[in-house]
Amino acid sequence: MSGGSIPSNFLKNVLNNGIGRYVCQMKRVTFKFCKQRNDSQGTRDFIENHLLDFTNAHPGVVVYIQPRNNRPSKIVAEYLNGRSEGIATTKMPQEEICQWLEHLRTRSGAEIVRLRKNHHTDNPSTQGVWHPFTNKDTSLNLAKFPDNDSYKVPSTVSTTDRLLEMGRKLRQEKLSEKS
Amino acid sequence: MSASIRSGLKVVCFRKLLIPLQQVPSRCYKKGLSKDLRIQYKSRLTVGPEPDRHRSEFINWNYDSEVYSFGKRLGEDLNDDILKKVFLHRSYIEREKKKIQELGIAVGTSGLDVDHNEQLAKSGEQLASNYVLIYLRNAFPNYFEEGIRSIHEYLMSEDVLCNIGRHLGIPELIMCDDFPLRESTIVTTLMAFIGALEQEKGKERAHLFVRDFILPQLIGKDINEMWNVVNPMGLLTAVLHFQKRGLPEPRLLWEGASSTLMSVYHIGIYSDQKLIGKAPGETAQIAEEMAARDALKRLCQTQESRPALLLGKLSENLKLDEKKVNISAKDIIEQFSPKESTASTSSKSIFGIFKGNHSLNKV
Repeated sequence: MSGGSIPSNFLKNVLNNGIGRYVCQMKRVTFKFCKQRNDSQGTRDFIENHLLDFTNAHPGVVVYIQPRNNRPSKIVAEYLNGRSEGIATTKMPQEEICQWLEHLRTRSGAEIVRLRKNHHTDNPSTQGVWHPFTNKDTSLNLAKFPDNDSYKVPSTVSTTDRLLEMGRKLRQEKLSEKS
Repeated sequence: MSASIRSGLKVVCFRKLLIPLQQVPSRCYKKGLSKDLRIQYKSRLTVGPEPDRHRSEFINWNYDSEVYSFGKRLGEDLNDDILKKVFLHRSYIEREKKKIQELGIAVGTSGLDVDHNEQLAKSGEQLASNYVLIYLRNAFPNYFEEGIRSIHEYLMSEDVLCNIGRHLGIPELIMCDDFPLRESTIVTTLMAFIGALEQEKGKERAHLFVRDFILPQLIGKDINEMWNVVNPMGLLTAVLHFQKRGLPEPRLLWEGASSTLMSVYHIGIYSDQKLIGKAPGETAQIAEEMAARDALKRLCQTQESRPALLLGKLSENLKLDEKKVNISAKDIIEQFSPKESTASTSSKSIFGIFKGNHSLNKV
């Protein structure tokens, strides 16, 4: 598959969440499971041992329990952006279900796709886009070429000279130490 | 059995030997599947898409829990009665009353004498609108009142507020007549929630809600684009006159590729020998206008490099001057006598640079 056909997106924040206060984006979660089948055992254990802790810790999430006869178990999370995510929890132990639930709770609800960039900024450059006149002195407008002033080397000591001088001093110090 | 023989033959035998085996009819349960799918596909096309259903029509729905969670999710500790009032629209009560009347029951005994959210929405909208204005005036103290009004208009527009309402989970909880919901219904409910906050928890808490949910919508938006200035050079002249500074002087800073399609002119605007704004453009006129806009941005301190808005934790001890009113562009223009107007002459002066002498003015 080519890059054009694989869905991709830019890094986004839903409704600038977290600038003001953080709002948990998972609004509703439904546990679907069978009351008798063996592969729903983990979900049943989870409901018995961990569900109340979860609801007490997160009162902003509505939890529904939906028993279905002889159907595989599943968690369906609904998000504030209108999307929903499902995770099949068949044959999963309760600990793993806890982890998946935490994963669903902390998500923004946006579809997981390839990110084109791992960073985002609203102001890409405060200086503006570079152009040939960026940081150019306007006095050059009046210069008549060939302009001898442009070729002048500044009268201060050059970096090359400074380095040569430093080297010479070091060599002298070494020589004096030896003697 | 036959499958295992076939797979064995595939490895050892020649292709010719496989032909009679391929003709054996397969005992498969999916003989009519493709036909069925085709019929299903065609009937779906004739029936059309599934109609939108309200979330409450599904089995996993409990209105009380949903309303309770709504308040908790936003970190607002409101009781359920006031929250339910927030979501109750006049149209819903009217519809229910009509239904009861049709059944021949007296309306007084139906328990439908409850308040709808209109009053709350009114007070909420007033509070939100006021607070947005006060916050913007304090955030951009040097910006014109007209500009502030335009930003305020954008923030309080139906699109923006409806988007906020949708992302707070409001639409599913609304009790009203219309489905699918009108945008205005969502906006009314959001405003009613702010009104309820003000009524129950006080103004401070309602202000915090506005600051946390409505004002962050400005992030990433160009506030200078929201107010349309028709004649930026005229306004700049009036502003400089008002500040008792020298009138604006546009000068050509650089030009390139002037005889081609890709021509570029950089124009700087000077006042009292000081550069107050510069911008590029395809022609000198465009560049001059853009430079005037740039100068206005710098004077109003709304340029791109301005500090970020104080929101969230940074705004905890924010003190706003509620009586502050920004200076109006209209007043400034009226104060500026039209005799001195250089808005029209300035464009002449820029042509002077080209026509008069090609050696560019040293600036």
